[in-house]
Amino acid sequence: MRVLVTGATAPSGEALIRALLADRAIEHVLAVGLDAQPVLLPASPRLTYRACDLTRPRAAHDLLFGQGLALGIDAIVHGALHRRASDHGARVHAQNVETTRELLTASARHPTVRRFVFVGTAEVYALRAAEPTLLDEDAALEFDPGAPQWIRDRVEADLTVCAQLTASALRPIVLRCAEVIAPGAGSQLWDYLQSRVCLRPLGFDPMINVLSREDQVRAIQRALASPHVGVCNIAGAETWPLSAIVARWGRVGLPVPGPMLAPLYRLRSWTVGFEFRYDRNARRFHFGGVVDGRRAEDALGYRPTTPIAWPVASHGARLA
Amino acid sequence: MLTTGPATCASSGPAIPRTEPTGYDVFGLHLPEVERVARWSRFAFERYFRVDASGHEHVPLVGPAILVSNHSGMLPVDATMLWLDVFRRTGRVVRTIADRFVPRLPFVSTLFSRVGVVSGSRPNVRWLLEHGELVAIFPEGTTGPGKSMAQHYHLQDWRVGHVEFAIRHRVPIIPIAIIGAEESWPLLARIPHVHLFGAPYLPLPVSLVPLPVRFHIHYGAPIRFDDPPASADDPEVLARAAAITRGAVERLIAHGLIARDQGRGQ
Repeated sequence: MRVLVTGATAPSGEALIRALLADRAIEHVLAVGLDAQPVLLPASPRLTYRACDLTRPRAAHDLLFGQGLALGIDAIVHGALHRRASDHGARVHAQNVETTRELLTASARHPTVRRFVFVGTAEVYALRAAEPTLLDEDAALEFDPGAPQWIRDRVEADLTVCAQLTASALRPIVLRCAEVIAPGAGSQLWDYLQSRVCLRPLGFDPMINVLSREDQVRAIQRALASPHVGVCNIAGAETWPLSAIVARWGRVGLPVPGPMLAPLYRLRSWTVGFEFRYDRNARRFHFGGVVDGRRAEDALGYRPTTPIAWPVASHGARLA
Repeated sequence: MLTTGPATCASSGPAIPRTEPTGYDVFGLHLPEVERVARWSRFAFERYFRVDASGHEHVPLVGPAILVSNHSGMLPVDATMLWLDVFRRTGRVVRTIADRFVPRLPFVSTLFSRVGVVSGSRPNVRWLLEHGELVAIFPEGTTGPGKSMAQHYHLQDWRVGHVEFAIRHRVPIIPIAIIGAEESWPLLARIPHVHLFGAPYLPLPVSLVPLPVRFHIHYGAPIRFDDPPASADDPEVLARAAAITRGAVERLIAHGLIARDQGRGQ
């Protein structure tokens, strides 16, 4: 199999490329990123790196029908979405949605590409008190026009791929991944946990499922190898209450009345510059929402196994 | 259409609910919290409401089942006493299905989730039954706690969701009558236009705390529906099946009220 990976210079893209190169069934990897010289990618004769701005439709087209065709690429892993929650505007939208659409439609008429793996997020699901705690693939999506662009774009990109599920010979699959708590993954929880004191809504302690990067990479590999077409939730191995996540990160959790949290975190964002936005997380921090990964288990044979490398093993006991 | 018999199931599950390696299940159930709440509730169970029960041998020790009962009271004291009774007798944690406004309640939502209460939605209930859990559903929904004193022990709206799950997942239904709860916290009035935290109405109870009325819990013989799982989509099948469970609960209520009156007379 010859695979094109977008977002190659992001930490998750790099981890995926290393895993693909370790798999002898993968003949070649065409890594695509924005950086001119990727410093973290391994040197391998089975790896080709190409700097390309995929927000330009012509560049995406030429990549697929030029180098992609020459290398005989038969699968694409696309997860190069904009990660900063505070950014917004047409360029961000182009990266999140237009790039996905362009890659997808070009792949559908491409002579060699037969598999399209879209690495999405479970944050596309609507979290409400009335919605299920356990989110399967049929759960309601977030269509609130007041939702931040970060979420709206992801919903649109997800549905763009869904619209192509049976439209061509291409076999697309959407992976709605639980949150990977890691730097460079666009993780709001990661940023939330960078403060010594983490504020959380008073009276609520929702359950949150977290995914390790190793499991995410393994799920993508399974999706590449599987013929399954459709949407699969990718759950992590661990589900914790928010208070326990804060404690395991070695932070102090401070319950604060819910209405105060958004202004306090906005103030933090202005003064310290962190990315965490409470308005993006308010419903999750009240009602939780845990992805149901049974379809991925049945269709892809994926089962989460790798726990998160928590800085603190249990309350008060710091890992060596 | 139905048979009654021992509440053993084709698929068996654990007596103790499955929890992830974290010690919590996906809904937030935490066994140490369950044990703590059971300890704290000992006085209420043994001394205040003086709960006794009959027919508890009908509650399966393993495998999925649906407990179906009458419902009343301003707060779910009946559900709490049922939860405690089953836990103390069998060690199983009843997964009570709560109305969808419950997750909006601060503190209460967290406590409830730690002791096994789950918000009432199909994916949630499906997951519980597929994992061999003991699920409690109050088919009267919020109309139960909203009963006037004249409606005590008269079942209100009887929804069909419980029989749909029973047929689709081939699990038995254990009918239950809870006697005493309806008098313990009667409602003076309800204000329908006030929806605090999304609740369907604002209840005005007779007293600030529930009255110390003795509780009697009567468990009936399990009801098994032999209909094929696909018939769970047939409204007529569901209506017929729901009428059977309703009748079973009504008979248990009548029997329980007679037994209580006879007990008082002695």
